[in-house]
Amino acid sequence: MSFSNLVELKTFNVFPEYFIGISALYILIVLVLISYNVHGLIVQRALSECIGFVLLLACYLIINDDLVFGGSGFELYSMLGFYKSSVTDHFAFFTKLTVCLFSSFYFFIIADFLKDYRLTSFEYLLILLFAVLGLVLLCGSNDLLTAYLSIELISLSSYILAAFKKTSSYSAEAGIKYLVTGAISSAFFLLGSSFIYAYSGTINVTDLWLIISDKDWLKINKVNNFLEPFLEVGLAFTIFSLFIKLALAPLHVWSLDVYEGAPTISTFFFAVITKLSFFAFLVRISYIAALKYDEVWQFYSIVIAFFSVFVGSFGGLRQRKLKTLLAYSSVSHMGYTLLAFSSGSRFGAEMLLFYLVIYMFSGLGVWFVILATQIRRKRYTDKFNTELGNLVLLRKSNPALALSLTLAMFSIAGIPPLVGFFAKMGVFLSVLHAKYFFVALLAILCSVVSTFYYIRIIKILYFENFLVGQLYYPLMTSKTTVFSISIFFLLFFFLNPTTLYLMVYKVVLCSFIN
Amino acid sequence: MLSANLVFYFFSGVLVFSAIMVVVASHSVFSLLFLVLSFITSAFLLFMLECEFLALIFVVVYVGAIAVLFLFAVMMLDAKLQNLARNLFRYLPVGFFFALGFLVPMLHQISLKVGESKSFFIQSSYVNWYDLLDSTSDVDVYGQVLYSYFVLQFLVVGLILLVVLIGVVYLTNTYTSNRTVDQSTYKQLSVSSKFFY
Repeated sequence: MSFSNLVELKTFNVFPEYFIGISALYILIVLVLISYNVHGLIVQRALSECIGFVLLLACYLIINDDLVFGGSGFELYSMLGFYKSSVTDHFAFFTKLTVCLFSSFYFFIIADFLKDYRLTSFEYLLILLFAVLGLVLLCGSNDLLTAYLSIELISLSSYILAAFKKTSSYSAEAGIKYLVTGAISSAFFLLGSSFIYAYSGTINVTDLWLIISDKDWLKINKVNNFLEPFLEVGLAFTIFSLFIKLALAPLHVWSLDVYEGAPTISTFFFAVITKLSFFAFLVRISYIAALKYDEVWQFYSIVIAFFSVFVGSFGGLRQRKLKTLLAYSSVSHMGYTLLAFSSGSRFGAEMLLFYLVIYMFSGLGVWFVILATQIRRKRYTDKFNTELGNLVLLRKSNPALALSLTLAMFSIAGIPPLVGFFAKMGVFLSVLHAKYFFVALLAILCSVVSTFYYIRIIKILYFENFLVGQLYYPLMTSKTTVFSISIFFLLFFFLNPTTLYLMVYKVVLCSFIN
Repeated sequence: MLSANLVFYFFSGVLVFSAIMVVVASHSVFSLLFLVLSFITSAFLLFMLECEFLALIFVVVYVGAIAVLFLFAVMMLDAKLQNLARNLFRYLPVGFFFALGFLVPMLHQISLKVGESKSFFIQSSYVNWYDLLDSTSDVDVYGQVLYSYFVLQFLVVGLILLVVLIGVVYLTNTYTSNRTVDQSTYKQLSVSSKFFY
């Protein structure tokens, strides 16, 4: 037995993750050494920007990874490393790049608000960085075990992030609720993986694809015909555990309380950054490993997708709390993304990536506004904007911010001069391609209903006849750089959607078989 | 062979003795300490069966984590648990029932083995000595697999533990009260406790 050749530099395809992990450890050591309690407030902002730059450098490493562009077309074994447990195909490349880029944007945004929200201990940023590391690992994991461990890294960090405000009982409640549902989700994932292993004897996505797509394999191993339902059940459990993590509709109840109770900066992270990686792994399981079982996952996902669109659209109607409203909005968006996923075709995968990138852009915009609108009050607890009504007269105190929020809301609602229209149209087109006409019709109707509460925010911003409103702290121009970039892209992608679409098209073309 | 048998009898004797003492000891701290002793001796027995990895896991998990955790909890709670031991005979029928439930299947298995070899004593007439030679030990094999096939997963597990450690330290630490908790030796030594009841 020679083990020495298993980990070679040739197949060392986790270099960006390695870089992020090493920098996280380095940051931990340095910050412990400089006695953070004394100098904490001084380095807080610099630390957040430093982590943003670390993630930008990780983007640079991902782009310059020669292992990705080694071959063109679908090549099964060219980009596997670590005994096939990690993969760098085009799909992993794109999702990793997107996650790193948006996380670095996120760190640049929150750098200015950490002090205002009294999250001044360095552990917060460090745990966020570890969560991002888990997200990047999940995008490239080709193995149910690696995926499970990355999901655990993400969710353990998320529990801590949700419960981070020790003085607030809402935050503790959010942390405990997140912990309990996360534990259930993990248990289902493990049970599902063990069933899949019982059927096929492997937990590797590529091997599963080979085994399932090979018809002779089934004939040779006649014993396993008995076990065939095992694979379906295992697949369903694994996918359902990912649905819990994504807060899709019948399993979304935790997300409302967690999003409302957690500190706003953590909620920003849960709602915007974390979703893409889970979808990446969901697509990897379903579109590669269980391609032959598409009737299994397609059925579940189309039902759940429509149900979450329904719940997200109708649940938000009577909601007056801003964060819960955005939680409902996130549920419905995950529903649209899952609709694109459940079409089961290449076009669906393209539209999934397209929709998620647009979702993250508009999410950055909306959550920035929520972070930035701090009311001028004496007491710290009154400072933060929690109700929809507080946004009244924002057009007087900060017209640019109000206009940008309007643009972001129009984009989310899918009104034409913004890119959200293309994203939603693509999702519905992919559903029509898969010939789910009735589902598409109902989803469009729900989308119309959900437009109501997006437009209501705009109505509150512009068309309320109030003479006295809330007074907000002024914003410095330097704080709004990333925000301006994201709003710019919402407009730019409408004028030129092919930039993004061609990227997504190439990624999906090179990564999937059907 | 004789020396190995002697060592086996010694450790199994200690195991049985400490297992009895877990039940009989008057104070719960003593019974927990005997529980630790019984885990350690069973780890020794596993060592003699060449299950090194399982033995080490026994020591690390049961002794290192669970038993010490119990010990710590009992000592922290400082509960008056002495009186519980007086009702020992009340629970004897239930314990007897469970013991029977474990003993009968075990004896059944042994009788199956004995039935195979057609004689009362299990004796191996033929020994393949080559099989008894270990080229790599248990731990060695696990290590080789873990550090070569599962390097990435191993590192991620380490990171998960680090995250949890940081989180727990942050969430439970209160910087406001830096009072150290010190022990009073006199109070600890003045406690008189009977070993048996």
